[in-house]
Amino acid sequence: MKLTVDVSICRGHGRCYSLAEGLLTYDEDGYVTPRGEVIDVPADQADFARNAADSCPEGAIDILED
Amino acid sequence: MTTPAEEQTEISQRVPTGCPVIHLDASAPLEAGAHWEKANELRETSPTFFNSHAQGYWVFTRYDEVREMYQHPEIFSSEAITPWDPDPVYRFVPTQIDPPDHAKYRQLISRWFAPNAVNRITPQAHEIGQRLVADLASKGECDFVRDFAMRLPTEIFLMIIGVPHSDADLFVPWVEDFFAGFGGDLEQQTAMGAALGGIRGYWEDVLEDRRHDSTPREDDFVSLLVNSTIDDEPLGDALILDILTVLVLAGLDTTRGQLGYLFRHLAENPDDRHRLIAEPELIPTAVEESLRMYTIIFGDGRKVAQDTDFHGCPLSKGDMVYGLVSGANRDPRVYENPDEFIVDRKANNHLGFAGGPHRCLGAHLARRVMQVAVEEWLKVIPDFEVKSEEPLMERGGGAMMTLLSLPLTWEVQS
Repeated sequence: MKLTVDVSICRGHGRCYSLAEGLLTYDEDGYVTPRGEVIDVPADQADFARNAADSCPEGAIDILED
Repeated sequence: MTTPAEEQTEISQRVPTGCPVIHLDASAPLEAGAHWEKANELRETSPTFFNSHAQGYWVFTRYDEVREMYQHPEIFSSEAITPWDPDPVYRFVPTQIDPPDHAKYRQLISRWFAPNAVNRITPQAHEIGQRLVADLASKGECDFVRDFAMRLPTEIFLMIIGVPHSDADLFVPWVEDFFAGFGGDLEQQTAMGAALGGIRGYWEDVLEDRRHDSTPREDDFVSLLVNSTIDDEPLGDALILDILTVLVLAGLDTTRGQLGYLFRHLAENPDDRHRLIAEPELIPTAVEESLRMYTIIFGDGRKVAQDTDFHGCPLSKGDMVYGLVSGANRDPRVYENPDEFIVDRKANNHLGFAGGPHRCLGAHLARRVMQVAVEEWLKVIPDFEVKSEEPLMERGGGAMMTLLSLPLTWEVQS
């Protein structure tokens, strides 16, 4: 599984990195990092990644299932 | 002035068939929960309405349309944000600034309320919470909305700004007086004006003080503003005072409102309460669920910046629109069992903090304040109930909603 955050849509709600702490973190302004790149999701993080994507109020996160 | 008959003719010319016309004035207090019932009813009746209240405005009731409104500031300007007041005399910064200027103000302020900053003050936030709960615990009862829910966010806010948190003694009555008048009660207008004067005067004194510093202070927001520039220009006193005043008005009463509904839920639902005591790691998820289900923003207004057809509504430049956030957050097209409070709900993409470029700047702080409140309260007062002879009432949806009072009782532990 892979995950991407669309920088042009993300507004820094912070839902994703709260729900997928093992995968995502945040910068000084509260925006998720890494963003704008394709992130490999380890199998044990898949449910967290899906929940993070589904919990984004902007719909800024795409999940690419293997 | 137009006569009702003329008004009717005018509306029928503007509003296409298929977009129902309503006349809804949501400013009056109602029994608690009535606003969400109304939002549910409107959403399931039609995705769009024309509301003939005030000068008339469009209403969007469902999740997708409300989010679309938030995400398109080029169509839906924040120049006016209350739909019944298209030409406000005030200008909140950065709330009412549109892109691209908006980002300049926003960046300056938002870092102060970002997760790192919130983490920095969290230990003191817990201390404040512990003290306020300890003061109440031995009393066996309180009006939660008045005695705790307003005090906690106010003290924590003042601390993060860098002024004495004991000045909550001043701010709590000011904010109460302001919102008593803001909802439209004409008898409260004098007190509202005096409260606003008090808030501005307080910040004027702080500002004056910080201007005399030889070096900028650490962890001091007013000092940061005094020493910042936008487009290579210093901010100026008027702008700084506007920013500080907006933060007070946007941040304290709102958190109080959310806390009241969350604690009423916990008082009336012992299973959820006991689960949070047993599994405190679920507190953040429960806080998000309360933001979704007990949304204090009945709706949010925008002003149309260009002629557009929006889901069958012919919007003209200058029209006002109203996104029914409380309808969106219980939209069954998005949420399973939307009227059920699910402590560990997944896929909770609620719009309780709005969306798009104006997403609530204080969201990270507000969440932390609510988490601290639940954690510290449940540690000391695990069992409590609502004690009221009368039905609980909530402030009208014209401003942010809040329970007008929440009388709680509990057994005092000896």
